[in-house]
Amino acid sequence: MNRLLASTFAGLLATTTAILPARAGDMTYERAVNANSETSNWLLHHKDYAAHRYSALNAINTGNVKDLHVAFAVGLGGTESGGKYAFGDLEGTPIVEDGMMYVTDGWGRVYKIDVTSGTHGTILWKMDPGIDRAWAGDVACCGVNNRGVALWKDKIVSATLDGRLIVMRKDTGEVVSDRQIADPAIGETITLAPLVIRDIAIVGAAGGEFGMRGYIDGTDLNTGKQVWRTYTIPAKGEPGSETWKGDTNPAAHGGGSVWETGTYDPATDTMYWGTGNPGPDYDPEFRPGDNLWTDSVLAMEPATGKVKWAFQYTPNDPFDYDEISEHPLVDAIIHGQPRKLVIHAARNGFFYEFDRTTGQFINGKQYTDNNNWTPGLDPETGKPANYDPKKDVQPYSAEAGRTRAHPVGKTCTAHVGGKNWEPSSYNPDLHLLYVGSIEGCDQITTKEQPKFAADGGTVKPREQFTGGGSRYVEKPVGSLKAIDVLTGEVVAKLAQPYPNYAGTLATGGGLVFTGLIDGKFSAHDAKTLQELWSFNVGTGINAPPISYAVNGKQYVAVLVGSRQAAAIFGAHPELKNTATASMLFVFGL
Amino acid sequence: MTFKAWMIAALIAWSGTAVAQPAEDRQITFGKEIFKSKATCQYCHRWDGNGDQGYGGLALSLRKTQLTHDQLIETIRCGRPGTGMPYHDQFSYTDKRCYGSDRAELGDQIPPQAVNFLAPREIAAVVAFLEAHIIGRGPATLEDCVYFWGTETRECDSFRK
Repeated sequence: MNRLLASTFAGLLATTTAILPARAGDMTYERAVNANSETSNWLLHHKDYAAHRYSALNAINTGNVKDLHVAFAVGLGGTESGGKYAFGDLEGTPIVEDGMMYVTDGWGRVYKIDVTSGTHGTILWKMDPGIDRAWAGDVACCGVNNRGVALWKDKIVSATLDGRLIVMRKDTGEVVSDRQIADPAIGETITLAPLVIRDIAIVGAAGGEFGMRGYIDGTDLNTGKQVWRTYTIPAKGEPGSETWKGDTNPAAHGGGSVWETGTYDPATDTMYWGTGNPGPDYDPEFRPGDNLWTDSVLAMEPATGKVKWAFQYTPNDPFDYDEISEHPLVDAIIHGQPRKLVIHAARNGFFYEFDRTTGQFINGKQYTDNNNWTPGLDPETGKPANYDPKKDVQPYSAEAGRTRAHPVGKTCTAHVGGKNWEPSSYNPDLHLLYVGSIEGCDQITTKEQPKFAADGGTVKPREQFTGGGSRYVEKPVGSLKAIDVLTGEVVAKLAQPYPNYAGTLATGGGLVFTGLIDGKFSAHDAKTLQELWSFNVGTGINAPPISYAVNGKQYVAVLVGSRQAAAIFGAHPELKNTATASMLFVFGL
Repeated sequence: MTFKAWMIAALIAWSGTAVAQPAEDRQITFGKEIFKSKATCQYCHRWDGNGDQGYGGLALSLRKTQLTHDQLIETIRCGRPGTGMPYHDQFSYTDKRCYGSDRAELGDQIPPQAVNFLAPREIAAVVAFLEAHIIGRGPATLEDCVYFWGTETRECDSFRK
């Protein structure tokens, strides 16, 4: 059956089920662009290029989700120690194509799992990239993580913590190319799932806490060679470099890392990437100026890496408000006008909407419970209302703002968010964006940051470059929120006892799925967020769920296994005896 | 005993003394592994114990610490109130074994709980490692790095340049 006929056939069946026959074949650009037409599969990291993470499957729905149960589980690896970490975590999004699932563990092993039986998962092969765990793990700021793979032709594409892009055969796992992109010797790592557009695999490097200079990098998968690299921090003399005043060498150490997969609009051939915080994180006097293009969204050409437009969320950021997380693409009528939007639930606590063609700011509203760093957004520019373009160092509010002379401040939304990297999901019928968030405040302390030794200071490569530190001073909790994209308002919310580190999945069954660090995996009504079902997997969940179908039956899958930092145990002592694990859980009716 | 039997016995005795690690060294190695992995002290203090900043709080330099042997043990057992240094005795602050204070008295100054608790012999081993390789030392060297990480990693490359 060709794909056109398949789509037509599916439309006829849509009233009862959205499950389509699975098809074998190479992954092509056309399939990627039309990923949502293959309702049984989960072909791209964010389900589709628009990052809706919405599965149209509706066999599991509000009426029967109470009967959902574990179909099977599969033990994985990746819990080894390395560098400064005692274990690896699971944050990956599974990819499913025609009953074959591809997942990664924290150390970048790729697993191909046959899930066609519906009663068990059989690991067909593993690809172990053989990471130098001490070397890479010691410069991973926030855990040993890998967020998943991409499909390309008859290959699988993945990245590794030690900075490589690996292409392997889909049938055997044999590695066919291995390109070093990021360099842990200067504090760079890769944790994201590659974005493949046509024959180019696009990744970014993490390392904003180690004085790296962020970039987004394209590899021609046919040749295994770099086709472009676009730095997020301008070199001296380039446009934007005037926003880095002083002599601290931002072109080498300015931050602006990239560590979650971007989105893509085929209609305009434009991709959208979020960038991380400026370095050093907490000492804005080290880097007077707005610090372009940190904490920003970049609209870019995938073939060249050329930036079409950009917007910065938090100029001269003193709060570590990375904005690396996904920027979903939505078409909606806003203020009476049809709009092609790029939207973003930001780590700084605000929800933003832009015209994705021009970059024009359209709407922005606070979505977190507490915010003390700015009273709101300028309705014309989208900048923080208390941003002063005449100042080189932004004080923002009296309570949250800090200087070297007055180094301690209480920050709400906390430096971790808001929504951190955990992906949101979007129900196009309800035009609601589902955000798993962190709620609360923390305390940041500024410490004057020395320069790198090569610039006349004392800091050596691979040493932390944060200009201070942060700690919780009140119990961090979480929330699940539904934001109406038509208005920007939070229209439903559910308080959660723990920070939400898992993100969300929306489905055609009127459901939203999410997980928590106490192991609770739950389903919620898509309109009210009322909890309709839950199951505790017995170990923390830090990964986003997906849904797929095989042999006509819908499943929901999630990777589980995490253990939290001491600060979380301090705030939530009831979790103190939980242990990490490394498992795939699959649920069905 | 025949000469052959004597030779075998002598060889066994010699080989035993050649490969066996003195108890003190074993304790130090044990402490290093706890510092590295089980307690991940290095997450905040860095592998060389020279302190760090950032996502674990502002950790002090253990190379420059003035704490005594007993104070080191107490600090690991009980953490440091009002800071990010966690306690590793799981019964800390359930009574007044730590600084004469319990959880109610310390309130929000109570230190965080460690990710993994440590037994007294493990705490003693960490202190033995600190005293043997960290405290009072100058900047870390290639030898220190290789001792900590081994030779099968690029972790120490920066010392070789």
